[in-house]
Amino acid sequence: MSQRVKTFAKPASTGLCGLVLAAILGGLAAEAADMATAIKDRQAHFKEIGKATKAMVDQVKSPTPTLAVIQASAKTIDSLAPQLPSWFPAGSGPEAGVKTGAKAEIWTKADEFKKDAAAFAVEAHKFDMIAAGGDIGAIRMQAQAMGQTCKTCHQTFRQKDD
Amino acid sequence: MTLNIGQTGKLDTGEGEISPAPAPVRVWDLPVRLSHGLFILLIVAAWWTESHGQMDWHIRIGCALIGVLIFRLLWGLFGGSTARFSAFLRGPVAVVGYARKLARGEPTDPSIGHNPMGGWSVAALLGAMTGQVCLGLFSVDTDGLVSGPLADRVSFDQGRFAAHWHGVLFNILLGLIGLHLCAIAFYALIREENLISAMLTGERRILIGPVSGPINALTSAPIWRLGLAAVIGLTVSLWAGTGFKV
Repeated sequence: MSQRVKTFAKPASTGLCGLVLAAILGGLAAEAADMATAIKDRQAHFKEIGKATKAMVDQVKSPTPTLAVIQASAKTIDSLAPQLPSWFPAGSGPEAGVKTGAKAEIWTKADEFKKDAAAFAVEAHKFDMIAAGGDIGAIRMQAQAMGQTCKTCHQTFRQKDD
Repeated sequence: MTLNIGQTGKLDTGEGEISPAPAPVRVWDLPVRLSHGLFILLIVAAWWTESHGQMDWHIRIGCALIGVLIFRLLWGLFGGSTARFSAFLRGPVAVVGYARKLARGEPTDPSIGHNPMGGWSVAALLGAMTGQVCLGLFSVDTDGLVSGPLADRVSFDQGRFAAHWHGVLFNILLGLIGLHLCAIAFYALIREENLISAMLTGERRILIGPVSGPINALTSAPIWRLGLAAVIGLTVSLWAGTGFKV
């Protein structure tokens, strides 16, 4: 009898445990997948900024810059910059288990991170305005100022690129 | 070793007869030693500036390295006898024969200039450095903020591709430099030959005996060629800094 109960109980409890475990694992897997997506999206956004920045820098360095390219790049950067903090949901740091350059400090020093991101958004908007103005000297100056906000933030919050 | 210019110098120790003591023999001319020294300085400086985020300087140093490389490659075509590719790039028979002697601990012919294995090591180092500056010219950093002088000719992705291989090739270059240093240590410890002092002073002390026969000392190239190579190297270096704008 007892043996019977055991044989009955065992699969039942195992099944229950299995279900709970599956639910937890499933939940974790879903969250991990979410985080992987967040990281992928974030990298795509940053790449968009990188592309626009390169196109702009090419012109800024040129003795005969094409204003239209600078202006288009400035628009792209200005439109993306204010969104930047939203690309860093909690859990999308090094603990996500996906390769990311995002350091844990983004969340442990959240205030400083938000301040740096805001500084970038401000300079990016200024750059957009100045680019529209078309004064190449002023554009070059503001490109430096905006680039500096990138570097400042990356120094603290991004793993050095390998 | 065959010499391309001037006469083959038979070593005269000044005593008339063959001297039993090691006699100094000229091995490396000034341009070889100078470019070698600059390679060391510029590679260390390029590495240091990159790892400290001094990218403006990293790019300037890269352009300087382009100039020194061009100078050294030209010197390999028309420089002093031991600097020439035609003299130090030997065939597989010579390389294998030399390696066999080293492995057995047998004496080798005194090398005035690169030995058959060392010649290819130099070719690999020069090749790696050339590849490295070429990739650097097109490299773009992940932010699109820092880019090489020719990066405006390529897309962001192509520039990132170049930057990736710029990083890989640097590690390969480090490996080759490591091998180079191991070889120097090998000659110092096992074969008791001081290659460092030879590169610093340009001279090697070689025991001249009946066994070794005549020694082909270094034959220098005329000074105007040094001037020509230096001017071309410097010009290309400065031109690279402007992104080769015409």
